[in-house]
Amino acid sequence: MARGTFNSASYGLSHLRHDLLRTVSMISTLSITIAFLLLISSLYFGMTTELSSGDERKGILEGTIPGSLDMYQEFQIDDSIPEEARTTLMNWLFLTSFLIFVVALFIIYNTMAIAVEERRAEIGVLRSVGFSSREVMRIFLAEGAFIGLISWVIAVFLGMPLIVNLSVYLIDRGEQGVFFVQPTIPYELTLLSLVLSVALCLGSTYLATKRSVLMSPVDMLRHRD
Amino acid sequence: MDDVHFIEIEDVHKGYTVGGSLVKALDGFSLHLDEGEMCALMGPSGAGKTTLLNIIGGLDTVDSGKVVVGGIDLNRLGESQKASFRKHNVGFIFQFFNLIPSLTALENVLVPAMFGRSDLSQRAEDLLVRVGLGKRLDHLPKMMSGGERQRVAIARALINDPKVLLADEPTGNIDSETAREIVHLFQELNNEGTTMIFATHDRLVAGRAKVMIRIRDGRISSRKKSPKDGMIHLRDEKE
Repeated sequence: MARGTFNSASYGLSHLRHDLLRTVSMISTLSITIAFLLLISSLYFGMTTELSSGDERKGILEGTIPGSLDMYQEFQIDDSIPEEARTTLMNWLFLTSFLIFVVALFIIYNTMAIAVEERRAEIGVLRSVGFSSREVMRIFLAEGAFIGLISWVIAVFLGMPLIVNLSVYLIDRGEQGVFFVQPTIPYELTLLSLVLSVALCLGSTYLATKRSVLMSPVDMLRHRD
Repeated sequence: MDDVHFIEIEDVHKGYTVGGSLVKALDGFSLHLDEGEMCALMGPSGAGKTTLLNIIGGLDTVDSGKVVVGGIDLNRLGESQKASFRKHNVGFIFQFFNLIPSLTALENVLVPAMFGRSDLSQRAEDLLVRVGLGKRLDHLPKMMSGGERQRVAIARALINDPKVLLADEPTGNIDSETAREIVHLFQELNNEGTTMIFATHDRLVAGRAKVMIRIRDGRISSRKKSPKDGMIHLRDEKE
């Protein structure tokens, strides 16, 4: 019978499958976060145009948001990108991204911390069969990395097409006009979001696991479920 | 005359603080065992059996005293060196089996060899066949009985070919028929040269050992050597 080699990756995957509910909740939290960050960034990097009558984008607008054309009929087209609108957008982007990121970090960390607490006996066993603290940490980090990676894949391959193709944004800046934004996600940003997703998971896994991994294996073995 | 023993424990003290008060688990404990010995530790709960096993296996540290196993002075080892000592010299077997619930029998056996250089899948399979679980390789612990789980745990303890097997109440959680099979397996392993030390409350299990040590209040209260190998008293046992 052909079997693959057994390593920390297969260990991690087995556990994620075993603890499916928790895995799904972490992945959904993180993928929604990443998708949202991409969405916000896409507005910043998107093509912003002031909207007016006579613009060919009217058609797109009318097709996307029925009735919207009538509301913005009076505005004049101006293809120059308004600096102030950009700045406002950027501030909004940074603030919102920061908040969302902190919340996601907290949720993932918390979920991991509870999971690690429940797995103390397991950590004790791993230490007793000869794993160093570092090796136990490697197993947990492998699981964290998987969650980060899977979440990113979902965010990018399911979330991004939705963001780019199905959304058109109008930003009403009062007297300065109404701006039409076509979301764009540069590919560097996609890569950055991968780094962010995996780093967030590795970071929270490390923080959640550090204490337990360094505890005396004898104390860990006393935990029993 | 200064004989060199495989396991040398001299004047070991070990205390724990439980709820603010100090409990002496081992109180000037000394023990010498030779390689290939099969030793049963008996005594009431809290007598220090588990602590002793943990100290021999390099899981726990001593407050004072000497612990040498296979020529290695455990007091001199750092944390990661101790981990490596456990990996290469010791196999642990627990009362509650302590298998990893998300892994199959085969994977559980492979866990201690995970970061090793060589692929031990074939050896793991052979060990499971040997403990009578050749048809259960891909089963998860929850699909197995207590006895089967303990046999997986034994195979896991053997994967890195340890010099000494330490078992803490290995039959404490399984029926007597299965317990007998497991002790029989221990005897086989011992006959092949593995040093075995197990803590047990079960007189029948203890009766199979060549050396039986009673511990009370952190010290040896009696030590018996079997008249012939593996039979201290076997009233209800048949070969």
